[in-house]
Amino acid sequence: MEADIAKMKEQKSPSAINILLRELFRDKLALVSLIFLILITAFVFGISIFLDKNEIVSVDLFAINTPPSDQFILGTDYGGRDVFGQLIIGTRNSLAIGILVTLISGVFGIAYGVISGYFGGQIDNVLMRVIDFFMVLPFLMIIIVFVSMTRDYSVVTFSLIMAAFSWMGIARLIRSKALQEKELDYAQASKTLGTSNFNIIFKQVLPNITSLIIVTMTLNLAANIGLESGLSFLGFGFPEDTPSLGTLLSYATNPQTLEFRWWIWAPAAILILLLMLAVRNVGEALRRAADARQRRG
Amino acid sequence: MWKFIVRRLLVTFPQIVFLSVLVFVMAQFMPGDALTGLIDPNISPEALEIQRERLGLNNPWYVQYVDWLGGLVQGDLGQSFRFKMDVTALISERVMNTILLSLVSLIFTYLIAIPLGIISGRYNDSPLDSAITGYSYLGFATPIFIFALVVLWVFGFMLGWFPTSGSVAPGLDAGSMEYYISKLYHALLPGLSIALISVVSTIQYLRSEIVDTKQKDFIITARAKGASENRVYNKHIFRNSLLPIAAFFGWEITSLISGTVFVERVFSYPGMGLLFLESVTGRDFSVVTALVLLFGIASILGALLSDIILSIVDPRIRIK
Amino acid sequence: MRKATISKALFIMMLMMFLVLAACSSGSDDADDSSSDEGNGESEDTGSDSEDTDGKVYDIADFSPIKEGEPMDGGNLNFGLVADSVFAGTLNYNFYSDAYDSEIIDWFDEGLLSVDDTFNYTQDGAATWEVNDEGNEFTFTIRDEVNWHDGEPVTAEDWEFAIEVLADPDYDGPRYGDVTSIVGAEEYHDGEADSIEGLEVIDDKTLKMTFKHATPSLLSGGIWGYALPKHIFEDIPVADMSSSDEVRVNPIGMGPFKVESITPGESVTFSKNEDYWKGEPNLDTVTLKVIAPETVTQALETGEVDMVDSFPTDQYPDVEESLTNVEFLGTLDRSYSYVGFKMGTWDKENGKVAMDLENSKVGDVELRRAMWYALDNNAVGERFYNGLRWNATTLMPSFYENYHDDSIETPTYDPDKANQILDDAGYEDVDGDGFRENPDGEELVLNYASMEGGDTAEPLTNYYIQSWEQIGIKVEKTDGRLLEFNDFYDRIGQQGNDDPDIDIYSAAWSVGTDVDPTGLWGPNVIYNFTRWEDEENTRLLEEGVSEEAMDLEYREDVYKEWQEYMVDQVPVFPTVYRAKLAPVNERVVNWDIRDEATELERYEVGVTQDEPVVAE
Repeated sequence: MEADIAKMKEQKSPSAINILLRELFRDKLALVSLIFLILITAFVFGISIFLDKNEIVSVDLFAINTPPSDQFILGTDYGGRDVFGQLIIGTRNSLAIGILVTLISGVFGIAYGVISGYFGGQIDNVLMRVIDFFMVLPFLMIIIVFVSMTRDYSVVTFSLIMAAFSWMGIARLIRSKALQEKELDYAQASKTLGTSNFNIIFKQVLPNITSLIIVTMTLNLAANIGLESGLSFLGFGFPEDTPSLGTLLSYATNPQTLEFRWWIWAPAAILILLLMLAVRNVGEALRRAADARQRRG
Repeated sequence: MWKFIVRRLLVTFPQIVFLSVLVFVMAQFMPGDALTGLIDPNISPEALEIQRERLGLNNPWYVQYVDWLGGLVQGDLGQSFRFKMDVTALISERVMNTILLSLVSLIFTYLIAIPLGIISGRYNDSPLDSAITGYSYLGFATPIFIFALVVLWVFGFMLGWFPTSGSVAPGLDAGSMEYYISKLYHALLPGLSIALISVVSTIQYLRSEIVDTKQKDFIITARAKGASENRVYNKHIFRNSLLPIAAFFGWEITSLISGTVFVERVFSYPGMGLLFLESVTGRDFSVVTALVLLFGIASILGALLSDIILSIVDPRIRIK
Repeated sequence: MRKATISKALFIMMLMMFLVLAACSSGSDDADDSSSDEGNGESEDTGSDSEDTDGKVYDIADFSPIKEGEPMDGGNLNFGLVADSVFAGTLNYNFYSDAYDSEIIDWFDEGLLSVDDTFNYTQDGAATWEVNDEGNEFTFTIRDEVNWHDGEPVTAEDWEFAIEVLADPDYDGPRYGDVTSIVGAEEYHDGEADSIEGLEVIDDKTLKMTFKHATPSLLSGGIWGYALPKHIFEDIPVADMSSSDEVRVNPIGMGPFKVESITPGESVTFSKNEDYWKGEPNLDTVTLKVIAPETVTQALETGEVDMVDSFPTDQYPDVEESLTNVEFLGTLDRSYSYVGFKMGTWDKENGKVAMDLENSKVGDVELRRAMWYALDNNAVGERFYNGLRWNATTLMPSFYENYHDDSIETPTYDPDKANQILDDAGYEDVDGDGFRENPDGEELVLNYASMEGGDTAEPLTNYYIQSWEQIGIKVEKTDGRLLEFNDFYDRIGQQGNDDPDIDIYSAAWSVGTDVDPTGLWGPNVIYNFTRWEDEENTRLLEEGVSEEAMDLEYREDVYKEWQEYMVDQVPVFPTVYRAKLAPVNERVVNWDIRDEATELERYEVGVTQDEPVVAE
């Protein structure tokens, strides 16, 4: 595949991004998923500008646990708070976390992997030992300990904590690709021509592994949304007035909510499923696009 | 080979030391301590202060760390404050439960994943394959805790086929046949919930392996030589595709660890995952540190195991 | 690739499910909108949403705390211990610190002294007592028929031994504070004496205890009444006792049941102690197991457990009708929730409260009183807890029948009155932002610390903040969120490191058998998180435990005055009192859930048939 891409480069064939997009449009399911994702993201981020968060999490003693009605499209929870509004804000927060974690860990992982792979030798050796160390950490537990240590955390700090334990996969992957890439003729040629290391990495090596990066990051996104909801479920996620899909879902641990008040948790559960499926579909399509053998034409 | 293992073990040693410092320090910086939970007008604060002093909770963290390390060297992981017993004894009480649960779920995982993966790969693009792929998609998207909750609800309460909490029926003599059967019975449902979710990656992997191998030259040759379809599959393809799965075995341990945390919580199954969650909330620092360390060691060993298996099954990966 | 088609189908199916869901919710609009609109408009009409179980309001007075009947001979009882974690397994009164453990110990061990319904010691227990005229010297006589489970008699030495262990410097439990009132216990603890001076074994069955001071608290739970079998523990170093097998694996007691087997953290089986001194128990065996709060309803419904120690009251409205095989017993809980005002810090050096009204934002009693008027605790009780919590009045819950004073008039919800008080005190909205400034015209923002825990914590906190907003007081959550339990107590000062950023906090106390509130609100106690002190308060608290207060009437008067004074000064105000519910299967008889002594004791509990009744 690397050879393919390299060859295309020479022929000025479509860029990696173009190939990805083309493959995406060929796969109807992935396209639908992508549109769904874009719509949902635009919707929750757009509408939450107009929503007053304080209004949504404000407590109404006289509307506790009401089923869905005109006034509350998805009913209210045990604080008399509007579930639909929480769902929107929750989706926004979950997505924001998923995206932030993916971006932070992605950028860091890529930089790490490219440096390690490109320079090789002792640097690579040391950097890889560090990764080895991080890889074997029981990260779920460390995150839990970390969260209980940090007194107040926001979407950003929470994302940082999670990102600290999820950059290794991507770094490893990028490193091995970078190792292969730099052996290829074009990189070697540039080097003999006196191009700086920096330029070689960012102008030549990186673009050639873009597709790989996008694929890995998309799949990471799904995993991160899942991890966030899992932590909220265990009680180590966000406070209730920063709802996430996970917090809504964790209401289902109350047996009465689970049995009698589906409107509180079911929409969040379905939304998580849909989001993860959609992200996964897009990611799979991208993966196929990145792998010339599996492309659909 | 042995050299390799020894070297890998040597590398893991500093890893473990570093992990221990990390966890120990983080645990110290958590607000509150093991005595916070005892706030009660019937217990005098002075008595609590005496306990704090006695346990060394008022010392700076590095002093506590050195104390702890000193104990560790002698195989002493310290005392659990809440349980008033040695951490080693406490963990050994629980560790069997988690190992049993992990074994059950591993067995289920392979029992389910291998046939499904083979069917899916052999008859790829058939309706059966589509159904299996569909399942693995859903499985991928379902968070394990939701699934476990639903399973508990349906099979535990609605149908009443399985016990809904604990690891063994009360009052059985430890060591008797009934005791072990009851233990197994209690581990079945939680184990199955982990397995049904964790099979999906193995199924997908096996499927694409088989689809790939199908088109390889030696298979085509075998077919051309007139080997029966079943023989081709059982003898050549299956064996070839299974090897990488075996190599993943070690890594499964790592993913099992996070799986058990969720499932033990949902099923109130007293294993190490549940102990960990309780100890974090109760600020039982020595237990938290010991558990993270243990889980860390388990994943290190798992990774090592994978590497070893991989090097055995795949001679291309040479161990330097 | 066909694979895509089925996945696509799946995906579309999911989408449709989502749509159906949306349709469901809009479909039910028509059916429900009338009731929910009404429910929103009429605050008084609690019965309007009849199909909605959450509208129901219960009254603790409608519950009986006791279930009587004629038991059959023998039988097994399944007891559920509702706990969200395993029990610690320190199964001895002298060493336990976990509330779940004490529920287990109650089955197989008991104190030597029994109490009446006001928690004062009686002569009906395993030991009887005499007291000298000064009231500081007690002579106890253990009944002859009282034996340990292994047949050995319970002796005065066992009792002395227990107290010596508690006072030992190596002792690792939390109960040392319970014996410091005995003469010489502190000297023994500090290694200055080889024995405790105030303890004297007169003969096998007689023990004399001398206390430093005579106070009425001694008689209401102030004497350590739990013996430790010396013949078993003698050879174990004190530091190792709590982790020994004698505590964890084969615990021993003198109660109506014996421990048969223990599955650590999960379950315990008991068999009857035929030699029990009050008589042979009705039941043959008891099986106790831990039940998660999430699954307790199902366990009761299927008869998996006959009864539980306490039932999560918030689940009650949803299940009262489906649990047809169960009778719910109820009584007053020994706890109250309260809102406290921080008015100082803790002086670690001198071990006392360092009040600083000048620099406290809530140093003004008028502000505090207005904030009390702003809260509608009856609505909170009805709406959040379906009436199973209700407006609290004084700091001595009605649980203390003798001392609780109904007649004291306490602020109840009246926003107009609250506004009036603030206006009069000079709190005015100067800059027109909708919130009042303090009398000096400076902005007033109060920092409110509240704890996580349970479903209602967050909405309740928000509700309080909204209520204060209604009277123009700006309150914000500390850190903008609920605090985790450990964090919360660290910051309100469990170790004296008070967070200066906290102005108000809400918490709850579970009160002890002794009514004396010094341990919570005295000037020298670290648990007085308000850091408020006052001469009058100190005087009343001291009088409440003085020698004169040995006279019940005198003590009642002192505490009535104290309750009134606290209502006046509002360093803290109680918000709700609580009910405790305990469901029991229909086959269970002779069970009483009250803590105070009753006619029905544990050995009398029985069942009427072999199999538990199952819900229809």
